Amino acid sequence: MTKKAKGRLRLLVSMLVLVVLLSSCGGGGKKPENVNGGKVTLQFWTIALQPTFTPYFNRVIADYEEKNPNVKIDWKDYPYDAVTNKLLTSIASGSSPDVVNLNTEFASQMGSKGAVVDMNEHLSPEEKAAYFDGIYNSTVINGKAYALPWYTGTEVLYMNTKLVKEAGLDPAHPPKTREELSEWGRQVNRKIGKAGYAQQLVSKLFAIDGIPILNKEKTAAAFNTPEAVTMIDNLKKQMEDGVVLKEDAEFSQQVKYYAGEQVAFELAGPTFINFIKTAAPDVYKNTIAVPVPTGKADVRLSNTMDLVVPTKSAHVNEAVKFAVFLTNAESQTAFSKAANTLPSTKDSIKDPYFTQSDQSLEAQAKVVSAQSLDKATDYMVGVPNAKDVNSAVTRAFQNIILNGTDTKQTLTALEQEVNDILKQ
Amino acid sequence: MIKWLRSESFTAWAFMTPGLLLLAVFVFWPIIYSIPLALTDYSVISDTHYVGLDNFEAAFKDRNFLISIWNSLVYVLIVPFLQIFSILMAVLVNSRIPGIKIFRTTYYIPVVTSMVAVALIWSWLLGNNSVVNYLLMQAGLISKDIHWLSDSSLALYVLMFITMWKGLGYYMMLYLAGLQNIPQDLYEAARVDGASRWRLIVHITLPLLRPYVLFCTLISLMAAIRVFDEVYVLTKGGPGTATLTSSLYIFQKGMEQFNFGYASALGLIVGVVIAVLSIIVFRFNRKGGINPY
Repeated sequence: MTKKAKGRLRLLVSMLVLVVLLSSCGGGGKKPENVNGGKVTLQFWTIALQPTFTPYFNRVIADYEEKNPNVKIDWKDYPYDAVTNKLLTSIASGSSPDVVNLNTEFASQMGSKGAVVDMNEHLSPEEKAAYFDGIYNSTVINGKAYALPWYTGTEVLYMNTKLVKEAGLDPAHPPKTREELSEWGRQVNRKIGKAGYAQQLVSKLFAIDGIPILNKEKTAAAFNTPEAVTMIDNLKKQMEDGVVLKEDAEFSQQVKYYAGEQVAFELAGPTFINFIKTAAPDVYKNTIAVPVPTGKADVRLSNTMDLVVPTKSAHVNEAVKFAVFLTNAESQTAFSKAANTLPSTKDSIKDPYFTQSDQSLEAQAKVVSAQSLDKATDYMVGVPNAKDVNSAVTRAFQNIILNGTDTKQTLTALEQEVNDILKQ
Repeated sequence: MIKWLRSESFTAWAFMTPGLLLLAVFVFWPIIYSIPLALTDYSVISDTHYVGLDNFEAAFKDRNFLISIWNSLVYVLIVPFLQIFSILMAVLVNSRIPGIKIFRTTYYIPVVTSMVAVALIWSWLLGNNSVVNYLLMQAGLISKDIHWLSDSSLALYVLMFITMWKGLGYYMMLYLAGLQNIPQDLYEAARVDGASRWRLIVHITLPLLRPYVLFCTLISLMAAIRVFDEVYVLTKGGPGTATLTSSLYIFQKGMEQFNFGYASALGLIVGVVIAVLSIIVFRFNRKGGINPY
């Protein structure tokens, strides 16, 4: 062996030794106990709620610690974009948080990987009955509930009355169905050259028309039907006719188009108001909120934030107890009042706050959406690997609607792709 | 030992060690660790199982991954254009025209601007009812809106243009350094022999810039295959899979869907593709040039 080759071999062996040494430093070891003098410390993470709602959380945490002297809550808040990475790195390094705020899609994805606790094992029937069924069931996969629903929102229809009147339509008699909304959009486009609304191409479009994404057993795709072909072709035509903007418009884009008066309508939850108020005060003044026009399924879709307890939590029982406390009717009513969100508990909407309106846009939206919570359901109900399924569906919708591929063929290919995802 | 401590090689190693340690932890280690990871179904959040070569087998059957590789290879087409335009710009700003420093600075602004900010600006310029469409309509060049970012036949090329627009200033600066390293007496000697301006560029400038061309081609090639920010901000890989690049797909599989084992396998395959392309570039640039160092 030459000197050079020996040197290279030595370098390779050194590298391998380094790898082995570093591997042994990896996480996944013993869970931290987080116990101080008999007190259990729970790591509680939320998404983008500090500093606006700090007073509410300080109050609710102090209240809980007073009722449970053996527990201390360590509350941390992370931006939406950072929470996934932070959660993954914490779990990987063996220091998992105990209670985490996630959206339904992410909670289902973690549930599919067996990474979060099954709430059905820990909650009594009375505790489960406190939540709206449609919302509680949104993270149930194979009989296991992977999250507790927390604050939620259902869509309402925001309408720019100035544009609507210019188009010769009467905002006092808003559209009640998707077909009527489409006709309104067509008239807006014909009369004033604007589009009706902007739309994001997500699996929700199936749910609006009552097309199931998966079969009852959640083992195979169930959307490859003539109804789905009709629904997609109809949306494609609406985009070509200028009724809907020809784009897969994310929420931030939708805000931009509505604020710039490029569209007359917006289908969104209550948080939309804050964006419009800031971005376009004049447009905000001309906006009213009315019940969302329903599709063939006549359902109201919710968009829920959940609380999960990772299986790697060192204090599962205490964590579940705290999550139940934070999502009970009393806590949720108080949070809804502080944050202008909707509760996922039945008793909360009996509060006058959700039934009385002072005619402001915020109050209109709140009352309209709160009264539809009993019909609300999350569109990703019990879908395993929800994130994978959603990206596949979005890609297929874009291919059909924007790239002009054949609807039936693309749906068949999508069906195969989703079935493969479900086998993982 | 004392002798070695006083040697030049010890000094060199002493200076290199901090950097090498950082590289070992943040570059070499993740690359090496991705090899065993690629043989598992590692997802961080649940139990890990050994799956052998299943991830690699799945990768070559994964239509979206193959499309993403193809899109990344198409993206490489910007490399020659990037080199040609940045050399031309470097030659331009190398002249002694009054106020040329203002041009140099202006061309360099996109380089120091965050890619996310650049992408957002372009999204406003190219979205529905955008400035670009308005100007083209006013000029009578188009009769209706062009959907720059949601038309599958255009979106990838629009992204390539944005990447090129942002990178030009960076490569221009590298070539400018190269141009200023060329000894002036070579030009003077050639002028004495009656060489035209064009011959000076072809027979002196370009041959002596070869090491820079090799370096810039290599790094822009790697950057083109690894492109992520502008795709993520502007199109998320859409419409459909029209702009799905390998980096974005790996990110989606790993960070969004928690299939880190599979994402590691995809990363290794893309690494091999980059290595093969780099070897080809090296082969093409074997001869010529002077050592600029």
